[in-house]
Amino acid sequence: MITVTPTGSTNDTLDLGNLAPERTALEVKELNLFYGNKQALFDINMKIPKGQVTAFIGPSGCGKSTLLRCINRMNDLVEICRIEGQICLHGQNIYDKSVDVAALRRRVGMVFQRPNPFPKSIYENVVYGLRLQGINDRRVLDEAVERSLRGAALWEEVKDRLHENAFGLSGGQQQRLVIARAIAIEPEVLLLDEPTSALDPISTLTIEELINELKSKYTVVIVTHNMQQAARVSDQTAFMYMGEMIEYADTNTIFTKPKMKKTEDYITGRYG
Amino acid sequence: MDNMNLNKHISGQFNTELDAVRNNVLAMGGLVEQQLGDALTALHQQDQDLARKVVETDLQVNGMEVSIDEECTRIIAKRQPAASDLRLILMISKTVTDLERMGDVAERLVRMVLNNTSRPQPLLVSLESMGRQCIKMLHDALDAFARMDVEAAVQLYHDDDKIDQLYEGIIRQLMTYMMEDPRTIPQVMEVLWAARALERIGDRCQHISDYIIYCVKGKDVRHTKVSDPNAI
Repeated sequence: MITVTPTGSTNDTLDLGNLAPERTALEVKELNLFYGNKQALFDINMKIPKGQVTAFIGPSGCGKSTLLRCINRMNDLVEICRIEGQICLHGQNIYDKSVDVAALRRRVGMVFQRPNPFPKSIYENVVYGLRLQGINDRRVLDEAVERSLRGAALWEEVKDRLHENAFGLSGGQQQRLVIARAIAIEPEVLLLDEPTSALDPISTLTIEELINELKSKYTVVIVTHNMQQAARVSDQTAFMYMGEMIEYADTNTIFTKPKMKKTEDYITGRYG
Repeated sequence: MDNMNLNKHISGQFNTELDAVRNNVLAMGGLVEQQLGDALTALHQQDQDLARKVVETDLQVNGMEVSIDEECTRIIAKRQPAASDLRLILMISKTVTDLERMGDVAERLVRMVLNNTSRPQPLLVSLESMGRQCIKMLHDALDAFARMDVEAAVQLYHDDDKIDQLYEGIIRQLMTYMMEDPRTIPQVMEVLWAARALERIGDRCQHISDYIIYCVKGKDVRHTKVSDPNAI
């Protein structure tokens, strides 16, 4: 008997509820988050599989960026923010008192909406994290630059001008440079917060192609307002609404036959 | 159709487009239904004029298949429909294919009348009762489509059993003819072919049921036997 495997997904439909520990990169357990008195996340529970792309979608203010920022403790910087519950990275609770936040952020890299290269050369941008770790060996740095820029699909375009200022690059190139900077320190997880919302459609496709390649090495979590983008790049999709996780399932299911009416209404562009 | 929330898109244009394409399918279905009715009458009364009218209508039905499919392609390209909208577009595109084939059946039936100008003779066996049953089934299928009614769609599977029984009855009669007098075989073959074509209409209406269930429930029930709407 000939079976047809669905295209565009490497997913052998994981059972997201019962993901084996060795396949789980991140586990969010009963996470509640408050900004002052206002609760922004309500009892989030989810397991994010290793080596795959997981997308968070939902309307503005639904808490998807807040949840993403919890994963590398970016919300620690917000004074009025209070967090209950756990997020485990490969089994270890990142909100445990013993966790060094700087070390955590080396394991969990992040790329933002607008490309934010440093006002330095392309080369220095990539090796920035390594220099912070005290690595100054020229050979190690050279090798890291080539590896990271190749990994971010930027090497061919910039290899002859590594020492020029990064601001000379186009928006799409800058965003890929920022991704190269993030992967130079070899994180385990890469968080992308609307990485293409400031880019033109062609640069967007380049980044999407890149995301697909990145997942062979890293676990990728992406927040996007572009639903078609979530459908194209992700293996799992989580739909959030008013701080709650409404539905979390493999992307094929979410975009062809979602179980919850709220999900259906959102992805088909209906009034809530 | 209320259960599909078809008119609740934020984009009013998208609502209009989906509405229009859905109404076109219903119009096309109505045309095929009328075409089949005319074909049966033409066959029964050996009415050449009515037969020619059926042939002309078939051109119109073919045109509608193409234009509805074009509209579906355009909606997919422009709106990137997802979930129930996507399923609706896919099912519409498949439904029009089945409707067009039913139109072809009507056209082939009247060809029997048009090719018979020299010696008009009634058919050996009446196809009237089976034909009317088919038209009723198509009517019910279109009705279920218009309301996106899963229960009505499931009911159609039972209706097809009736058509199958009538078909078997016709086959038995034709066998008797052939055994009694082999000279009737050419005529028998003609009726046999027509009966077979009508029987396929029942199957095509079942396909429409399958698509309705897929559209509403998101479950592909093709090639499975569904008898209980609650089990879907």
